Amino acid sequence: MGNQESQLNQPRSYGLQTPGTKGVQGTKRYAMVIDLRKCIGCMSCSIACKTEYGLPLGVWRTWVKVVDKGSYPTTKRIFMPRLCNHCDYPVCVRNCPTQATYKHEDGFVLQRYNRCIGCRTCMVACPYNARHLLPEKRTDNNLPRMVVDKCTFCIHRVKKGLVPSCVQACVGGARIFGDMNDPQSEVSRLIATETVTVLKPELGTSPTVYYIGSDWEIMDEPHSYSNRTRQVVEEFNDFKRNHKGDAFADIIEGEPLMTEVGKNWIGYLKTIPHKAKETLNAFKIFLFD
Amino acid sequence: MEESVVTFNAFHHVAWGTTISVYFWLVGASAGSFVISSFGWVFGIKRYKPLTMTASVTAIIMLLLVPFLLTWDLGKPIRFIYLLIPGYWHSTGPMAWGTMLICLYPMSMIVYSYFVIKQNQTFAKMFGIVAIVLALSTHWYTGVVMELNPGRFLNHTALAPLLFLTGAFISGIGLMNVIVFIRNVLVRAENRFDWALVHEMAQFMMYGIVFDIFLLFLDFMQTTYGNQNEVMGHTVVLMQVFRFPYLWLELVIGLVIPLVILVSPLKNYKLGALVASLLVIIGVYGMRVWWVMGGQYLQSFY
Repeated sequence: MGNQESQLNQPRSYGLQTPGTKGVQGTKRYAMVIDLRKCIGCMSCSIACKTEYGLPLGVWRTWVKVVDKGSYPTTKRIFMPRLCNHCDYPVCVRNCPTQATYKHEDGFVLQRYNRCIGCRTCMVACPYNARHLLPEKRTDNNLPRMVVDKCTFCIHRVKKGLVPSCVQACVGGARIFGDMNDPQSEVSRLIATETVTVLKPELGTSPTVYYIGSDWEIMDEPHSYSNRTRQVVEEFNDFKRNHKGDAFADIIEGEPLMTEVGKNWIGYLKTIPHKAKETLNAFKIFLFD
Repeated sequence: MEESVVTFNAFHHVAWGTTISVYFWLVGASAGSFVISSFGWVFGIKRYKPLTMTASVTAIIMLLLVPFLLTWDLGKPIRFIYLLIPGYWHSTGPMAWGTMLICLYPMSMIVYSYFVIKQNQTFAKMFGIVAIVLALSTHWYTGVVMELNPGRFLNHTALAPLLFLTGAFISGIGLMNVIVFIRNVLVRAENRFDWALVHEMAQFMMYGIVFDIFLLFLDFMQTTYGNQNEVMGHTVVLMQVFRFPYLWLELVIGLVIPLVILVSPLKNYKLGALVASLLVIIGVYGMRVWWVMGGQYLQSFY
């Protein structure tokens, strides 16, 4: 592990991205440890996050994945809270064409709404589904729309000495947050003394969300797809039906594929009027205000 | 029997959709058409000179559709300008390179066409070389923009740009064949292009089809003998969900049937070359669909 970490910490150039700071003395590297043995699946973290940022329906900065293991009577329900991994070498930062996403010197991977063009390159690049496009219609239209959004590790709270809202809300104390470069911090102690894993380590992103007590069946991507319940598949299909129209490429399972492709095309065309209206407004503001 | 089931997870969208697949097809057809356009003035194959302007105009029109398509695909269309402004432009983002290429490629084609109209061999050749490099680069980029996502196992292969370029070559030639056919039917006999060109281009297309099949075979090998994600990408995504665009549209309709036509005596008939060309055009679009959407499909439930 030590050797691997030292290799990952070799300086790399990713344009705007600051170099990896894991284990580099004199720098801060905020990280999260999630002790899955303590997670009870209450979803308080998801709700706290939704409340903190007023997130619209259908998008999540953090959520809890649930897997039921075994067969009766030997069963177990396992949970895995998910969020942006604030990678030390984030693919999203590297691939963003307008420097809208960047890595803060303390390790936060952040998004600048005013620079984001909504091209969704970062969503394609992110291996963890940690990014989402904010919808066109929101309860308050002054809030960011049609730009990509993501978890910020609640930097606004952390800078005031608080922990992220999901950590604050966690009733089981499963989420632990802190500076992993500080040897006195709890996250450092846990990473050093417990068996920890990260999601998709083979991709070289060097994630900074560590899991204790994880199970491969909840971490594995192909396994997740193959082992969904019928109800989950139907719910996913309903989700896709209700979110047509943002130029996404959702395929409703069981429907003819090329029909779905055609519907996506119609969905794209339907987005043009409201985008055109917004573009005209932008011109008006630029020319007359 | 599987011992575990996922009972709850957040749902995620497939970020890039039909617009991107159509864009990839248009850029490919444009690059392929431009290759034909350059035969006469850049590579000195004189019998292709009459085709130059038809091919050039086709390539320019195909490419001029792209900015409209892509700009309205952005969440904030007005901000497309950020892709061109220093200070916003991000050198490590593949899309930033692509924007430059999409801007420069049509410009170079227009300049090249201008010198072709002026019959200026020296400048036509010079700008033709620039345009052909940009044509290939623009389409190379479409493969790269999908390839440089290590989390998308089906797309993350160095074969991607080659597959795209080969698809561009055959679809561009196919498109030219169809246009030449239509034009020859519509104009007077003395203004027609030589039908021999259609057969010759069909021959080039056949070589491209063989190479494309070889590349797809390599990709098949990699995914079949690959890691779990790659294997599932092939068995579940390509052979089940995207079976129609992958197996039927691309492999059968777009490659195998045209190849059979082009190696059989049918190739000597104009209609044979036309049908093969039409099928190739359709098949290459199938490839763009499964490549763009299929690569992102599996991860939408992770």
